[in-house]
Amino acid sequence: MLYVLSALQLIFVVIFAPLAVGLFHTLTEKFESKVGPSVFQPYYDLYKLFNKQSVIPKVASPLFQIVPYLTFSMYLFLTLVLPIITAFPLSFGPVVDFIGGGLVFGAIGALKKIASLDSRSNYAHLGTSRTSSIGALSEPIIVLIFITFGVISHTNNPYVINNIMQTSSQWYFSLVHWFVVFAFFMALLVETGKLPIESHSNNEFGMIDQAIKLEYSGAELALMKWGGYIKQFLLMSVFLNDFLMPFWVPMKISLSGVLIYSIIHLVKLFFLIVIFAAIQSTISKYKLFKNFEYIAVAFAFAFLAILVYFTTGGSV
Amino acid sequence: MKEAFIIVGFLEITLAIFMQWQIYLKKIVTTFSISSYAISIFLAVDGIVLNNTNLLVLSALTAVIRGFFIPHFIRKKLNKECYLEREIKAIIPVAASIVVSLVFVVASYIVYHSTLYSFINIPGGSIPIALLFQGIFLIISRNNAFVQLVGYMVAENSLFLFGGYLFPELPFIIEGGILLDLIGVVMISGIIMKLREENVSSIVDEFEEFKG
Repeated sequence: MLYVLSALQLIFVVIFAPLAVGLFHTLTEKFESKVGPSVFQPYYDLYKLFNKQSVIPKVASPLFQIVPYLTFSMYLFLTLVLPIITAFPLSFGPVVDFIGGGLVFGAIGALKKIASLDSRSNYAHLGTSRTSSIGALSEPIIVLIFITFGVISHTNNPYVINNIMQTSSQWYFSLVHWFVVFAFFMALLVETGKLPIESHSNNEFGMIDQAIKLEYSGAELALMKWGGYIKQFLLMSVFLNDFLMPFWVPMKISLSGVLIYSIIHLVKLFFLIVIFAAIQSTISKYKLFKNFEYIAVAFAFAFLAILVYFTTGGSV
Repeated sequence: MKEAFIIVGFLEITLAIFMQWQIYLKKIVTTFSISSYAISIFLAVDGIVLNNTNLLVLSALTAVIRGFFIPHFIRKKLNKECYLEREIKAIIPVAASIVVSLVFVVASYIVYHSTLYSFINIPGGSIPIALLFQGIFLIISRNNAFVQLVGYMVAENSLFLFGGYLFPELPFIIEGGILLDLIGVVMISGIIMKLREENVSSIVDEFEEFKG
């Protein structure tokens, strides 16, 4: 049964990840009183890219071509170990905890950066440099958040954290939890490349993560893009299921329960995407050096969560 | 009330950090106004719970003077001179200021727990001390007269929080502080703005920052 549910979760994420991105783009355009692309545009883009010829820089090593396949498969692995549509561990659930998942995300980021440096493109180098400098400061926020959750739940297992948040109203309404929610939300905007941190345009001034895959084309670019969609979907799902709205995720093994929750999860995601789109269409982009101030505030929230815990012991 | 005190206290700390983040004077003043209203609501609830008229009067004075009048006065002055809306200079970089503010919060926690906690014995007692340090830090980290005034009032908000919660019979002593604030803000801002209106540039530069 667990294998069936694992396969179901994998298919769910892989299929709906581009839809979430399409919905985000459509809503953003609608909020700006434009017609906007179809919500299925990411699917059309992927189809087009898979049918295009790949162009590889002459100077690049074989690693450049391998990395998109490698990172995509690592994203698929992450899909199997995080609580997306179940609050009980699936077949591969016990393999990693939050820190382990973070390390896999880190490994994917490192591989992408090495591959982009391998392309010897100035823009890819620019993207790598920016991503590394922002990542070096935003990663400690994520680690602090996981430490706080570790203090609350005495574990780093995302499933256990979900169960505690679902069943304990004391922790859910605690000040510690809400400081963590704000910190993670701010970090989520950084990790998913949303405004006010990154604007996705053809202008290199605003490029951060986007510049890394500039030298890719064809199927490799499609996999990089699809992997990016899955990353967004996973992070948003973790934010919903472990932080903001951990309710209704099935805690007992039941196929019908999981199927019903899959629909509920899409509804939850829809509301989160509406918030993201509203932010995207109302906030302007920060200058690059101002990003560090934003990260400092996110760090302040994560740090205050720990301090609240020490001050109150989680009783408030 | 312990829970409300801790929630309002951490809200105040968060708002002080938000003030460090902002470069637009209007936003800083509005944030200060919100923080004053939060303290006013807390004092009102505390006054109702303890059936203390002094606290209720103090709450009303806080809302009217610190929540409405002083921020309104500063905003009105800023509206006249649009170039004053944005603070150009910053002595300490914003990101560093936020981190230093956090260090102050931790330092106050340690100081409180190693000194006062043994006989006051209130879990969130370090919050007003942290807020006091943040207000003082806001004064020294900026060289704009208005932000420095706001920093001064943030420091005094911490006294309100501390006094209002720990010594509910004491507020009328603090009340004198409100009047002094009022005189300070209205008089000094008035003098600065008058000098700016008269285009006395050399004196304006001198008054841009409060120096001892």
